[in-house]
Amino acid sequence: MSLALSTLLFEWRRYMAAVMALALSGLLVLAMTGVFIGIGKGFTATIERSSADIIIMQPGAKSLMGGPSGVPRRFIPLAYRNPAVIEVQPLDGAGGTFQSVKNVDPTLSQAERAKMGAPRQEFVQASIIDTTPGAVTIPTDYSQELVDALRQPYTVAIDETAVTKLGVKLGDRALYNGQTVTVVGVTRGYPNMMQATVVMSRDTLRMVGQADTGPRVGPLMVKLRDPAQAVRVAAELNEQGDGQWKAWTRQELADANAGAMFEEGILVIIIGGCVVLGTIIGIAITWQTLRGAIMANIKEFASLRALGVGMGSLNRIVMELSFWVGCVGVIAAIVLTLGIQALALAGAVIISLPPILLIVVGGGLIIIAMLSGLLSLGILKNSQPADLLR
Amino acid sequence: MTDFTPHTAPSHTRVHGAHGDFAIEAKGLVKRFKSGKSFVEVLKGVDFDARHGDLTMVMGPSGSGKSTLIAALSGLLRPEDGRVDALDVDDLWKLPNGKIDRFRLDHCGFIFQGFNLFPALTALQQVEIVLKFQGLAPGAAKKRATEALTEVGLAHRLHQRPAILSGGEKQRVAIARALAKDPKILFADEPTSALDGENGQIVIRLLRRAADEYGSAVICVTHDPRLEEWADRVIKIEDGVIISDERRTPNPNATLASHH
Repeated sequence: MSLALSTLLFEWRRYMAAVMALALSGLLVLAMTGVFIGIGKGFTATIERSSADIIIMQPGAKSLMGGPSGVPRRFIPLAYRNPAVIEVQPLDGAGGTFQSVKNVDPTLSQAERAKMGAPRQEFVQASIIDTTPGAVTIPTDYSQELVDALRQPYTVAIDETAVTKLGVKLGDRALYNGQTVTVVGVTRGYPNMMQATVVMSRDTLRMVGQADTGPRVGPLMVKLRDPAQAVRVAAELNEQGDGQWKAWTRQELADANAGAMFEEGILVIIIGGCVVLGTIIGIAITWQTLRGAIMANIKEFASLRALGVGMGSLNRIVMELSFWVGCVGVIAAIVLTLGIQALALAGAVIISLPPILLIVVGGGLIIIAMLSGLLSLGILKNSQPADLLR
Repeated sequence: MTDFTPHTAPSHTRVHGAHGDFAIEAKGLVKRFKSGKSFVEVLKGVDFDARHGDLTMVMGPSGSGKSTLIAALSGLLRPEDGRVDALDVDDLWKLPNGKIDRFRLDHCGFIFQGFNLFPALTALQQVEIVLKFQGLAPGAAKKRATEALTEVGLAHRLHQRPAILSGGEKQRVAIARALAKDPKILFADEPTSALDGENGQIVIRLLRRAADEYGSAVICVTHDPRLEEWADRVIKIEDGVIISDERRTPNPNATLASHH
C-alpha cells in the first residue's frame, strides 16, 4: 500500500472534513439533477414501463415531449409489415381539469366550493391504456384487476401520491373536464411532482371526447415477438420507414427523455448554480483540509527530503492523496444520495440517478479533489529539511 | 605496495573509500542568517573533512553553528561561500537542486533528534518507502528493509506503527531507514538527546557499527560529551569557528546510561 493511501486510511479523521465537503457537493448536484430527471420520469413513467419494445415517432423528434412526436395513422399498418412486430398501438393522452365532487354539490361555483373547504380544481395529465389483455400500452406492473376495472367506461386510476392533492379516494366520483368519472384504481410508484396523472382506457378518453380520431395519431408503441431483438428490429424499421419515421428502442427514448429535461433554461441555471456552488465549497474545504494534513506531517516529509526524495516525488504523494480523498468522497456522495433517494421516495419524490450522472458527478468530484491537491502543493515548500536540524 | 598511510590527507574524496579515505571535504564555508536588519555569521569560513570508517563527532554549545555545518555539508542549506567536495562530486553546491537531491538519495543517510516517522506507516514501510524512491523493486526493498530493521534489533517490531514504539525503537527505525540505503555518509543530528541512557547507548553503538562495518563516514552532531567515548575524532566548534580537532581511539565498550 502506498504512503498516500496508508495515511488516508490511518488518519481518516483528519481527512473527514474534505471527504464530507466532497460528499455534500456531490449530493447537492446529484440530488438536484436527480430530482429534475425524476420530475421528467413522472411524465413518461407509463410509457417507459409499458411493454412497448420500440416507439415510432416523427424523424425530427428529440424526445417524447420534444418535437413532433405524432405520426400519420397509416404508419400503423406499415409497422406491422415487419414480421417481428406483433402489436402496434398509438399512444394517446390529453389534459384536463379534475374536480373532486365528494360531499360537494358540483353545480356550486368554485368560490362557493372553496368556502366549503372542498378540494380545488386541479389540472391533470391523462394517459391511456388499452384494456385488451396484454396490450402494449399497459405498464408491466399493472395488475389484471386494475386493467379490468379501467375497462368500465368513465373510470380512472390515480397514483397514491395524488390522492390528497386531488381530494379523492378509491371509489369516489370526480369531474374530469366536467364529465363524471369514478376512481377505480390507485396505483403505486407513479408519482408526478409537477402535475397529477390520471390513467384511463382509450375508450374512456374517446367518450370524454379527447381521443385522436383523425388521420394523425400519437407515437406508435410497438410490441415485438422477442423483446431481446429490439435493437435489431428498430434498425430494420428505420430502414423500412425510409426517413418517414424514426424507431426508438424503449431505453433510447427513456435516456432521451431524461436528457431533454436539461434543455430547459431554468433547470440549467439551477443545476449550473449547484455545480458552481458545490465546486467552490468542495475545493475550498478540501484544499484547506489537505493543507492542514500536509502541515501535520511536514516534518516527516522534510525527513524524506533530507534522505534525498525530490520535491517531484512529494508532489506526487500529495496528488495521489488527493485522488484517494476524491475517491472516498465519491463513495460517500453516492451513499448519501442513495439515502436521500430512499427518504425522498417515502415522500413520493423521485430522485432518479442514471449511471451516467453518477459517473459525471463522481469524475467531477475527483477533479475537485485533485485541484485542491494542486492548490495545496505550495505548502510542501515548508518541508525544509534544514529546519529539522536544530 | 599499497600505501598504508591514509591519514595523511589524500588528494580527493571518494565514493568507495578505504577506511581513512576522505569522504567529504569542505573549505571556507560561510553561512549568514538575517537577524532583524543585520546578518549573523553562523559559519565563519569553516574548513571541514570527514573520512570513511570514522565516527566524527561535531560538538559545541547550542548556536555554535554545528547543525548549520552539517546542513551545508549535506546539501540542505546553501552556504554563502566555500565549497563542499563529497564522494565523487566536486563542489556539491555547483550541482542543480535535483542532482543534489539525487546525491543525497544515493549516498546520504540522516538521523534527526526527532524521529520524523510517518504515523500511518509500519516500521517496515518507513524503511521500504525510501528504498522504493531509490528505485528498488518492491520485493528487493522489502528484503533490504527487513534486514536493516533486524540489524537494529527490531525484527519483532516490523509491523508496528510509531504510536506503539518506544522512543528508542523509533530512533532505531529512523536509523534503519538511514542505513538501509547503505549510505557512504551518515549525518546524525543530536541522535541521542531525546533518548534515555540505555537507548542512547544502543543508538551510538549502531552509529559506531555503521562506521566500522560499512566504512561509512558518520558525522554526528551532539552536545552530549559522554558520546566522545565512541568517537574516532572530535571536532569542537564555537561561534562558527572550529576551535579544536582531535583524533582519539574509540572505546567500543563504553557505557552511556543516565542511571550509572
